[in-house]
Amino acid sequence: MGHELTIEPLGEVITVADGQTILDACLRAGIWLPHACGHGLCGTCKVDVVDGQVDHAEASPFALMDFERAGGKTLACTARLLEDVVIEAEVDEDPDQRRIPVADYDATVAAIADLTHDVKGIRLALDGAMDFQAGQYINLHIPTVAGTRAFSIANPPHEREHVDLQIRRVPGGQGTAFLHDQLKVGDRVRFSGPYGRFFVRKSRGGPLLFLAGGTGVSSPRSMVLDLLAEGWSAPITLIHGVRAELDLYDRALFEDLVRRHPHFRYVPVLSAEPDGSGWAGARGFVHEVAEHVFDGTFEGQSAYLCGPPPMIEASIGALMRGRLFEKHIFTERFLTASDGAEKKSPVFRGI
Amino acid sequence: MTPKKLGLKQRYALMTRGLDWETTYQPMDKVFPYDRFEGIKIKDWSAWEDPFRLTMDAYWKFQGEKERKLYAVLDAFAQNNGQTGISDARYTNVLKLFLTGVSPLEYQAHRGFAFAGRHLRGVGPRVAAQMQSLDELRHVQTQIHTISHYNKYFDGLSEFRHMHDRVWYLSVPKSFFDDARTAGPFEYMIAIGFAFEYVLTNLLFVPFMSGAAYNGDMSTVTFGFSAQSDESRHMTLGIEVIKFLLEQDADNLPIVQRWVDKWFWRGHRVLGLVAMMMDYMLPKKVMSWKEAWEIYFTEAGGSLFTDLARYGLKVPKYADVATADAEHISHQNWATFYQYTHAAAFHTWMPDRAHMDWLSEKYPNTFDKYYRPRFEMWAEMEKQGQRFYNNSLPQLCQVCQIPMVYTEPGDPTKIAFRCSQVEGETYHFCSDGCKDIFDAEPQKYVQAWMPVQQIFQGNCGGASIPDVLAWYRLNAGADNMDYVGSPDEKLWNDWHAAAARAAG
Repeated sequence: MGHELTIEPLGEVITVADGQTILDACLRAGIWLPHACGHGLCGTCKVDVVDGQVDHAEASPFALMDFERAGGKTLACTARLLEDVVIEAEVDEDPDQRRIPVADYDATVAAIADLTHDVKGIRLALDGAMDFQAGQYINLHIPTVAGTRAFSIANPPHEREHVDLQIRRVPGGQGTAFLHDQLKVGDRVRFSGPYGRFFVRKSRGGPLLFLAGGTGVSSPRSMVLDLLAEGWSAPITLIHGVRAELDLYDRALFEDLVRRHPHFRYVPVLSAEPDGSGWAGARGFVHEVAEHVFDGTFEGQSAYLCGPPPMIEASIGALMRGRLFEKHIFTERFLTASDGAEKKSPVFRGI
Repeated sequence: MTPKKLGLKQRYALMTRGLDWETTYQPMDKVFPYDRFEGIKIKDWSAWEDPFRLTMDAYWKFQGEKERKLYAVLDAFAQNNGQTGISDARYTNVLKLFLTGVSPLEYQAHRGFAFAGRHLRGVGPRVAAQMQSLDELRHVQTQIHTISHYNKYFDGLSEFRHMHDRVWYLSVPKSFFDDARTAGPFEYMIAIGFAFEYVLTNLLFVPFMSGAAYNGDMSTVTFGFSAQSDESRHMTLGIEVIKFLLEQDADNLPIVQRWVDKWFWRGHRVLGLVAMMMDYMLPKKVMSWKEAWEIYFTEAGGSLFTDLARYGLKVPKYADVATADAEHISHQNWATFYQYTHAAAFHTWMPDRAHMDWLSEKYPNTFDKYYRPRFEMWAEMEKQGQRFYNNSLPQLCQVCQIPMVYTEPGDPTKIAFRCSQVEGETYHFCSDGCKDIFDAEPQKYVQAWMPVQQIFQGNCGGASIPDVLAWYRLNAGADNMDYVGSPDEKLWNDWHAAAARAAG
């Protein structure tokens, strides 16, 4: 059950469960709204109800005035939907976000390749074509599990007739076990997409820094291929961290791009490569290499981070020590039901 | 094709554009003479995000409705004789402490934000500080109006303005704000905007407002809701100011860190009055001070400082000492006021057995071991007609101005003494935190108006206790001394006897 909520000016549409507040639904969908007290007393989360009816619930009469109630305002932290509703909130409209409607797609498994000992590259050939922004993801239906699993699209958007996914086998994971062990070329699959607000803010221009951990490289891969195909002229750096050389993939692809595009820099880095192996490249963690490559100063960059949470957290720390702040840091986070349980201060919005 | 509708943020930007013009008749540095000397470097004022986008026109409309609602409740409370429905007349001592100790700080905050708003050259913080300045004026005014109803019946409220400027223990909150207001505009914003309004505000307002709710004081609760709807702006301003300073220049970090350390410690010392109020003065308890500290500082402050660590900012120095103090501070403060009840503008009492049992339960590590025996002894002395009064004048800490009653970290049986020498004079401190603050700016703190020294110098009405109390405008025999035997107690008992007779 529940109702649909449209959030302007983003144009995003999400489902709000019965009894769920607008704020809770938005935060879980990755849409940040200003908020503070969380229980109707302070008024920080005030939004305009453009269409539809809401229940203001326990909003304090001092935080939501009578004239505001009459004028179509509500508090996102207490309001529940009584029908489908459109709100306008004070969220940043992003000039680089394209509004691509989410749709269901049917596809055929066209190829499966072993990228490493535990990562498979899977190409899904679409029955038609899909429009998406580099960095977005799809929700794939997997027959053996309830619900869907999210995977980033690794190919650039000008390749519209297929999607490439890079899927690591999650130890004990039912979904990835199926994809690794049972999925065959020629199988039919269904997914929905494209989702996500992780895309390159091209209108800002300037040098770009991509920090990727493990299969988190799939979004940056799509972004880099897209940028270079479009003729992006500012410097681009991709630092890709994995544990050991046997976990590294797509190296040939990126090294070939380096040869053809002198402003593209590619640094693979290994965190747990055995000493004395033949590896002559960088060792350590992604953020350490980034600090080394940029001499600890990141001012002027725009950074895009994709990978496991500890890598993201360490990288944000390194970037901020190097004086790059939230406005210039973008991360991909797959939110789960448990998100929001950890206590966060309101210092940061999205990182 | 119809033009695209503007977002709220863009509309506000267009409506307020051009408010931050460059002056031409006078150089900008002369128009804004105070925003450089503290060493804070600002490269780009326009990077300040105004999260509220509130115009003055809308501001008046909001505050007007808040006032109408609050005053409707105050009228109803007065007409229904709400003062007879509170939990116990002892509760009014909480209001006395609040009106003499806290409300005047709202006025100081009003003046401080007006100053900061005038002297910060960026338009974003200027508008935000201006609105906060007006909020604070509204707060002091509504607090006075809310509590004035109690002044018709209870002692200790009528001379709050004079008392705030003169009474020994009220110099603790007063000097705290004087210190902030005599700092530069950036230090003021960190001291009050960030450290006080953000990090510590919940430890001040939640205890007082929840205390009011638990004890049947609907008028003060309603004032609390009315003020809390302004606090969102204040807290957001506090967060914005610290992010802005830390992002503008790497050289700002050590300056901001020093201010955060200083104002955390100063705030913690002032909040000792709230600790005592929560643990000893509320007839119906909300929670213990230690529990409040765990929720609002250890947990909420923990996540705040975890996030701020990304900027290189550290948890305030001596936060661990302050957390350890939460086991002791309320007991040590109440013991002090009990001993000096003749010089306090509110009533004191020894907790009864049920109250002491509650304290034992809430403070299993300290109350039975260090405080209960002393309190039981004092209660026993009282029973035998030998109520203990301390007739000496205490030595004060030169920074927080609290009598030197606090104990060594890790040893609650030993009073903590620290001192520094400046130009042949010795200055005393209650803690390492206060000594550090003094040592960083000795020339500021040697000028402090110290209540005890002023009495000895003959500046407080005379040489005897009655002379000084008269100068405080403290009505001896009514405003001070124990609750038992006070006019407040008699009034309360008369009301209840009358109510019992009416009920038959």
